[in-house]
Amino acid sequence: MKRYDDEDGRSAGEPLAEIVDLRVEVGGRVIVDGVGLRALPGRVTALVGASGSGKTTTGLALLGEFPAGARVTGRVRVAAGGPVGYVPQHPAAVLNPARRVSALLMDIARAQVRDLPRPARRAAARERVLRALADAQLPDGETLLRRYPHQLSGGQQQRVVLAQALLLGARVVVADEPTTGQDALTKSRVVDQLAAVAARGFAVVLLSHDLDVVRALADEIHVMRAGRIVESGRAQRVWLAPRHEWTRELLRSRPSLPDTTEPDRPEDATEKGRPEDAEEQGRPKEGAEPDRPEDATEQGRPKAAAVPVLRVRNLIARHRDGSRRGAAVAVRASELALYAGQCLAVVGRSGSGKTTLARCLAGLHRDHDGEVLLDSAPLPRSLRDRRRDQLAAVQYVFQDARAAFDEHRPVLSQVARTAVRLRGADPGAAEAEALTTLARLGLPAELVRRRPARLSGGELQRAALARALLAQPRVLLCDEITSGLDTVTRRGILDVLTALLDGDDGLSLVLITHDLDTAAVAHRVAVLDDGQIVEQGPTHRILTAPRHPFTASLTAAAAPRGRATGPG
Amino acid sequence: MTTASPTPRATAGRRTGRFALGVAIIAVPLLLALLGPVFAGEPGPRAVSFTLGGGHWLGTDFVGRDVWRQVLHGGRPVVLTALGAGVLAYLVALPVGLAAALTHRRWLEELLMRPLDVLIAVPSLLLILLVASVFTPGAVGLALLVALVNVPDAARLVRAAATEAAARPVVEALRLQGESWWRTAFGCVGRGILRTLGADAGTRLTGVLYLVATAAFLGVGVEPDAADWAVMVDRNRTGLFVQPWAVVVPALLIVALTTGTNLLFDAALERTAPRTPGARRGRKERRP
Repeated sequence: MKRYDDEDGRSAGEPLAEIVDLRVEVGGRVIVDGVGLRALPGRVTALVGASGSGKTTTGLALLGEFPAGARVTGRVRVAAGGPVGYVPQHPAAVLNPARRVSALLMDIARAQVRDLPRPARRAAARERVLRALADAQLPDGETLLRRYPHQLSGGQQQRVVLAQALLLGARVVVADEPTTGQDALTKSRVVDQLAAVAARGFAVVLLSHDLDVVRALADEIHVMRAGRIVESGRAQRVWLAPRHEWTRELLRSRPSLPDTTEPDRPEDATEKGRPEDAEEQGRPKEGAEPDRPEDATEQGRPKAAAVPVLRVRNLIARHRDGSRRGAAVAVRASELALYAGQCLAVVGRSGSGKTTLARCLAGLHRDHDGEVLLDSAPLPRSLRDRRRDQLAAVQYVFQDARAAFDEHRPVLSQVARTAVRLRGADPGAAEAEALTTLARLGLPAELVRRRPARLSGGELQRAALARALLAQPRVLLCDEITSGLDTVTRRGILDVLTALLDGDDGLSLVLITHDLDTAAVAHRVAVLDDGQIVEQGPTHRILTAPRHPFTASLTAAAAPRGRATGPG
Repeated sequence: MTTASPTPRATAGRRTGRFALGVAIIAVPLLLALLGPVFAGEPGPRAVSFTLGGGHWLGTDFVGRDVWRQVLHGGRPVVLTALGAGVLAYLVALPVGLAAALTHRRWLEELLMRPLDVLIAVPSLLLILLVASVFTPGAVGLALLVALVNVPDAARLVRAAATEAAARPVVEALRLQGESWWRTAFGCVGRGILRTLGADAGTRLTGVLYLVATAAFLGVGVEPDAADWAVMVDRNRTGLFVQPWAVVVPALLIVALTTGTNLLFDAALERTAPRTPGARRGRKERRP
């Protein structure tokens, strides 16, 4: 996906926007210091860094927006004084849900055709809207205009916001984490769109911690850390010869997919030499034992019992919509098993029913048929009917850690409650145990005595893990717990998870994810598409030699990015 | 290029100012209501109706009693009934609203909320007058009645606010922790909607005061010659132009009570208002 050569073949032209020596200080704390960047037409300038490194503050500075009460020095210049477009991380939040897309866009266009005679205005405005939609890579604009924002996918919403900015005449577009929380296929589409926008002569400023996207798109990269640009330069140069220590660490922390182009890797060799399992292909046959214990042992993990810890049989989960009878089937899982000490990744695009499946297991989604067996004893459907030990055995970690904590109470007391309620520990002992567990996950005591607002997203996710672990669960369900975190933090959480698996308490993990890099941590992978388990098997087999076309499309969407300009 | 915003000190000063104003306004009627009876002393001999002077600070009322002494005595029933009714309304509305918001059983929610909807449809004053014509309620009865009238909308408000809070993952996390219903409902969800409740309590107490005063004015729940600010306004109306103080002073005290309550809650809410720096994000049109 590289569009320009390192040897710059084309004239860059005047910068459309420029930041010189920007320094933003809020309440004595320096957020951004000495930052400079230039947005050139037709180019993608990427700001890379962990969350909290000042990317967004810098990006918003281009729009003339600063945090409340900020002291700002430096210069921000935008050519021709035109507006700067901003595509936020959550585009749904900036689109009025009560109005159709056409109304949202026409409002802007109508103001621009005031000088035309009245009869011609409508047609002219419409033409402008359609042109903006085409510029924003929404070719099927006509049908889209009639929809409401909630009827669009996240990617489409993003492009409608982009179209609004382009309608206003923006020549510079700031894209804030446009791919965070998206699955691999959507991600590659977003990348293509942004590339096309840049190709039309717009200057794109990309704020991202997703190195794949940056790698695919950026012409120029600025690496930020703690409010300073530690390294900047041509994309190629930064990738191949990073000069700063922090850049190297960022690049290193990016997990690499098993690569199909290198068949000489030892694991691949054993995998390929094995006769194919019939059960692994597509959906397992009725009555067949799909998850043979050998599958587990071959991962170098001796198994004591052949009875799975958690087993799903003929599960059909529904979502109740308005009507009484017509409930939509969200998930159909005829057979799924999890063995002690094993990690199962459930992979699929957003909306494929991954989360619903996990919620069924946890007892949070009651509207389902079929059985969930814990040690071959059926688990009650609803949390309310589960006994304490059953509650403790299956724990769930939520995607949005911040929303999963009570903002009014210190993190420590919330974490410790698990031991008190589920294991009957007395409060003092529970707190001591919570402190030990939290420390093991890298959270010092003085940090966890604070309220959730003072912890970062990654720290809160660790605390959420600790909260679930205090129940001493047999099965831990992790729902997208690394999406929305930057690479370094994500790596840290994944390391914690693998360390948990290696511990000798026989904990099993279910990892719900859309990210194949994350899934690579697991022993087995189940691929979910549109509520159906289309394929399951050992991780390496699935990632390197997918049999189902959907799995193939997932891995294909993720893999080329890793290889395009891969180091070495 | 420097952006200026109001300094924190100026905003803090304004907040303190409003707080002090609220306290000052509410202090007069509250102190009179609480301590008045202590300083009232023995009732003197009755004088001529509606006179000014003659040893009486604020003149005499319609049956020749000292107005100042009536004012000192008349606050307690109003304040106590209103406070009692307000607290009682929330005591019922909170558990009902929280239960309706937290339950997954549709029938339970219907069972809890529908009867209240019927009650909401009846005009509150009509209900009070209706009940008063059948029974003759005392002060406690009046408080109960006013509370009953206030339960439906309070419960609805609690439910509406709590439904949003109850949909957050934190409630599911608490259920996974095996947390008890009371702690989940009051400790987490209830705490989360405290600001909304505070805003509601400010206006509701005013409404309750108004209702209690109106009922007393109409003669519900009090003796016709009772020492009660609202009753005083009613009975002394006839002499308004001869001896205005017997009406104006109790009326002003009631106004001060409601205004003060409102100001105080406003200031308290503003003081706890979270300032969200992230709220500025996510707008799409900017000027450079």
